[in-house]
Amino acid sequence: MNIAIDRRRMLQRAGAGFGMLPLAGLLQKQSMADGEISGPHFPPKAKRVIFLFMNGAPSHVDTFDPKPKLAQFEGQQPEGLKTRGSGYMPSPFQFAPQGESGVVMSELFPQLAQCADDLCVIRSMHTDTPNHEPGLLLMHSGSQQPTRPCLGSWASYGLGTENENLPAFVALCPGMPVVGPQLWSSAFLPGNHQAMAVNTSDMKLESLVAHLKHPSFSRVAQREQLDFVQQLNRIQLGQAADDELNAHIRSMELAFQMQSEATEAFDVSKEPLSVHERYGNSTFAQSCILGRRLLERGVRFVQVYYVDKGKQPWDTHADNNSKHRTLCADSDKATAALLLDLKERGMLEDTLVIWGGEFGRTPYSQVNKNNEKAKLGRDHHATGFSMFLAGGGVRGGLMYGQTDELGMHAIEDRVHVHDLHATILHLMGIDHTRLTYRYSGRDFRLTDVHGRVVTDIVKV
Amino acid sequence: MRLTLSIPALLIIAALADADEQTDFFERKIRPVLVEHCYACHSSEGSDIEGGLRLDSRDGMRRGGESGPAVMPKQVDKSLLVSAIRYESLKMPPEHKLPDEVVQDFVTWIELGAVDPRIESTTPAEIVKSEIDYAKGRQFWAFQRPARHPLPSHDCHTWCRTDADHFVVSALRENQLIPNPVADSRVLLRRLAFDLTGLPPSEELLPSVERLSEEREYQRVVDQIIGSVTFGEHWSRLWLDLMRFADDQAHIVGNNKELFFPNSHLYRDWVIQAFNGDMPYNQFIELQLAADLTTPDNMEDDVALGFMGLGPKYYRRSSPEVMADEWEDRVDILSRGLLGLTVACARCHDHKYDPIGTADYYAMAGVFASVEMFNRPLNDDCEKNDKGEAKDPQDAIHILRDREPTDLAIMVRGDVNRKGPIVPRRFLTVLSNSDPVTFQNGSGRLELARCVASPDNPLTARVFVNRVWAHLIGRPLVATPSNFGNLGERPSHPELLDDLSVRFMEHDWSLKWLCREIVMSATYRQSSHTQRAGLIADEGNKLLWRMNRKRLSVEQLRDSILNAAGELDSVVGGESVDPSDPSVHRRTLYSHASRLKLNPMLALFDYPDPNVHSERRALTTTPAQKLFLMNSPFMVEKAAAFTKRLRHESEDSDDWIDRAYLLLYSRPPTPEERHAGNLFIQGRNDQLEKYVHALMIANTALFVD
Repeated sequence: MNIAIDRRRMLQRAGAGFGMLPLAGLLQKQSMADGEISGPHFPPKAKRVIFLFMNGAPSHVDTFDPKPKLAQFEGQQPEGLKTRGSGYMPSPFQFAPQGESGVVMSELFPQLAQCADDLCVIRSMHTDTPNHEPGLLLMHSGSQQPTRPCLGSWASYGLGTENENLPAFVALCPGMPVVGPQLWSSAFLPGNHQAMAVNTSDMKLESLVAHLKHPSFSRVAQREQLDFVQQLNRIQLGQAADDELNAHIRSMELAFQMQSEATEAFDVSKEPLSVHERYGNSTFAQSCILGRRLLERGVRFVQVYYVDKGKQPWDTHADNNSKHRTLCADSDKATAALLLDLKERGMLEDTLVIWGGEFGRTPYSQVNKNNEKAKLGRDHHATGFSMFLAGGGVRGGLMYGQTDELGMHAIEDRVHVHDLHATILHLMGIDHTRLTYRYSGRDFRLTDVHGRVVTDIVKV
Repeated sequence: MRLTLSIPALLIIAALADADEQTDFFERKIRPVLVEHCYACHSSEGSDIEGGLRLDSRDGMRRGGESGPAVMPKQVDKSLLVSAIRYESLKMPPEHKLPDEVVQDFVTWIELGAVDPRIESTTPAEIVKSEIDYAKGRQFWAFQRPARHPLPSHDCHTWCRTDADHFVVSALRENQLIPNPVADSRVLLRRLAFDLTGLPPSEELLPSVERLSEEREYQRVVDQIIGSVTFGEHWSRLWLDLMRFADDQAHIVGNNKELFFPNSHLYRDWVIQAFNGDMPYNQFIELQLAADLTTPDNMEDDVALGFMGLGPKYYRRSSPEVMADEWEDRVDILSRGLLGLTVACARCHDHKYDPIGTADYYAMAGVFASVEMFNRPLNDDCEKNDKGEAKDPQDAIHILRDREPTDLAIMVRGDVNRKGPIVPRRFLTVLSNSDPVTFQNGSGRLELARCVASPDNPLTARVFVNRVWAHLIGRPLVATPSNFGNLGERPSHPELLDDLSVRFMEHDWSLKWLCREIVMSATYRQSSHTQRAGLIADEGNKLLWRMNRKRLSVEQLRDSILNAAGELDSVVGGESVDPSDPSVHRRTLYSHASRLKLNPMLALFDYPDPNVHSERRALTTTPAQKLFLMNSPFMVEKAAAFTKRLRHESEDSDDWIDRAYLLLYSRPPTPEERHAGNLFIQGRNDQLEKYVHALMIANTALFVD
């Protein structure tokens, strides 16, 4: 066997990261061929994605979808529905067009208003279920059951990572969201496409990444030990050219390098004070900073969760208005900072930013246990809600689709979750009907038999 | 109307030259739109048929409704459907206009001739009418009963030790290959111990290497290892992977753990005991599906019903869609796990590649629709609900029991709201001699179990034998262990698989017999060395000219480290533990198996997702695994414990090296290795820990040759 070629082949395969497959199934060549990254189907507009997930579901009529008609119908019960509230509830927040494009948003987003011309607000989202668990699973994996790979895993499977010392897919979440790690699971895709889950409740490096540092060895001491390990490995290898054993030797070297690479990447304290001030100090803001650092270093897909100690902050069944005021203030500042930051670094053009939750909230109110009029909430709502996209080849300054005049149902240019998924993959250079994985006798895809690319929102 | 086609449309037409592709275009672009936007008012399933127009069949579309034909092939301008969706005549669908590219798809489709496979009339009964030719389907190799085969002739008789060897060597000789000689005794002993018990050879076994080349001694050692209680512990994992064993669920609402399985370990213990007691595999299956019905007086075995009783319970169990998903899980576990068939593919339409109809799927799903998961109280002291279930799952075994028997209606295209004809509960048509017999007793569980565990079933024994073979030889005979259907691989050694399967059944479906038969073979005893001729002719070693080198599973890896550190707890059975806690010394198979959050150490080393059936373990090699080996508290503490043990046993650094090699690698070091070790330690006390940690993470520690 030609050693030079073998080595080159190995280095190619080492397009690795925390779990790149090319190093993986060397024993099972067949399954490796199945699992290899497919590469884009056409030139991508978005090279990387950051999905800012507002867990609990933000209220569309209080954020991006003004419904003045609600004032006229205030207090009336929606037809044919039994609600636990006092009827339609107008938003107390002022809406105004922003930027040159005139994208409309509520007063809760003073910072994002500065980015209006970059935003593509989809007002006609709809999903299949108004319950968190299946709703979350659907938004993440296109299925309501925890048995399918998520969007980020499909992207990793399709495109791999751009930095062999970092994973392709990272999920940043303080604690666990509802449903838990199934949200970033690779399910039946090879395990290396699962997100590296990072608990952002403590931003100290040691807490963020497991096993990145030996508890007592210095770098020199560890190098000495690993040199010895590799010496033993070479003795074992003898004269044989063995792909599998070589892969382990190489993987050990990668791990050693990753210790410094990841140490650097995950350390947000390396950012200047001005950056911290710009984003804010909340957990979400700090996660956005970390997300940007990872994207910069070649991570393909970052999920940032707006979660609070396992709770769903945006799930405003009670006290909707004041809670939205607080939540939006935090999210507004960090999200706008991220957009501007990416822009200044020349990255927004090919970085897709997505903002939204698992569904929307009812245009009518929900009364809390004590029946406090001042603390009305809004319930889950699946048939019409808003999300926004920015950068990565989407048309900025656009409001796409409509709900009816009370914000109940998406009626024009409706975008189902499957359509959103198809569009995200499209932006990444992937045809959602062709990104498939054979499992259990069937070719599976993220969008199953559904999905339509919303070409109207894609930049030409 | 537009006479000229747009450029994209022309490109599409060019690409859609043949009829198959046009059908495919219809299926991808046209049918989904019709189903989603039109069927509600224009199909036989809709409330009533608006305008007399039916869009759910080819004829319905071409005949049209009150206003005339909706579709006229190749005549876009005469197709009312097009002007309607363009909002030029009627405005359809009324709630909003379809996107332009969808409209264009319809235009393209009609230009091409409006190929439409929905030629059948479209009552649900007829949609689901099956076209499968079962008699023809039964001719496929996997649906033919396995038979014994005469041993093939070849020129290598002296090499052969068992019947299997003749099949292997004959295939090798046909390809001008020769098998490897017997492996070194130390290698062989380590191989036997890891393969059969998941552990390195015990200290009491180690001296037997001296005489292992003697046939009687080899036989004695094999029997001793197979007789050890560690055998059942190790083999339980084969089964637990397959049946997606778990202690909890993939979701939790608040802090409500009602759907969790705190006593799932009782089922695991049952499996271990069944394997250690060499329970016949057919009985093993029967008890797991119907212990309460076969041996109603013996409550002991009822815990075996955890096979299905520990299945996933999805969120919102009150809704029919969710229950339909749960039945799919049960059908999938039974069919892929035991029969090597992907029956769940037939939930929405007839299986595309195998002779399995939707009726077959719903006939089997009906059995699971006729049972319920049940937390049966462990004793009478606990609080019960009105169904007699323990209120706290902590007080219960997690099993299933019959409820009102229910025959399911076929769900047209998997849609719970579109009911087709009702199918009586029964077994798969293709695995029945003629028309399958309808199940009569209760849910039909026992009858189903007997159909699966029958010597007449061509698949059950083969599928299990293939799994055991894969486990011991490191490569299955059928490379897709859970898919023996048309899309699965064909066996590499069909006659060997058949012969072994028949003899397995003749030997009372005994796992221990099967293991013994395989490890006694010359095929198994080969060295794993490579040969030039073998690499050139068969690099993947499909023909078995050498033994496959096997990577340690996470269970074997962690157990061997605990064993070297002198900490391994040998108690058999019991509650689940946290494997990454350095103070926990139980074997890894007792790890808490979570559907909600799989232990990171297990996940890192390819332990399967317990939400679904696992066909076989993935094999990944990642830097994250190496970081765990280098830096995790578990590894660092075990290196310290191992060091302490060595120091405790001797003060001489030569002894340390010899002993470390023996405990970790089951052999003494080579002179080169001893020399390298001495240079590294240099008699320095503080280097010893670093040294043993290096041995623990070097490649030799991760493989069995």
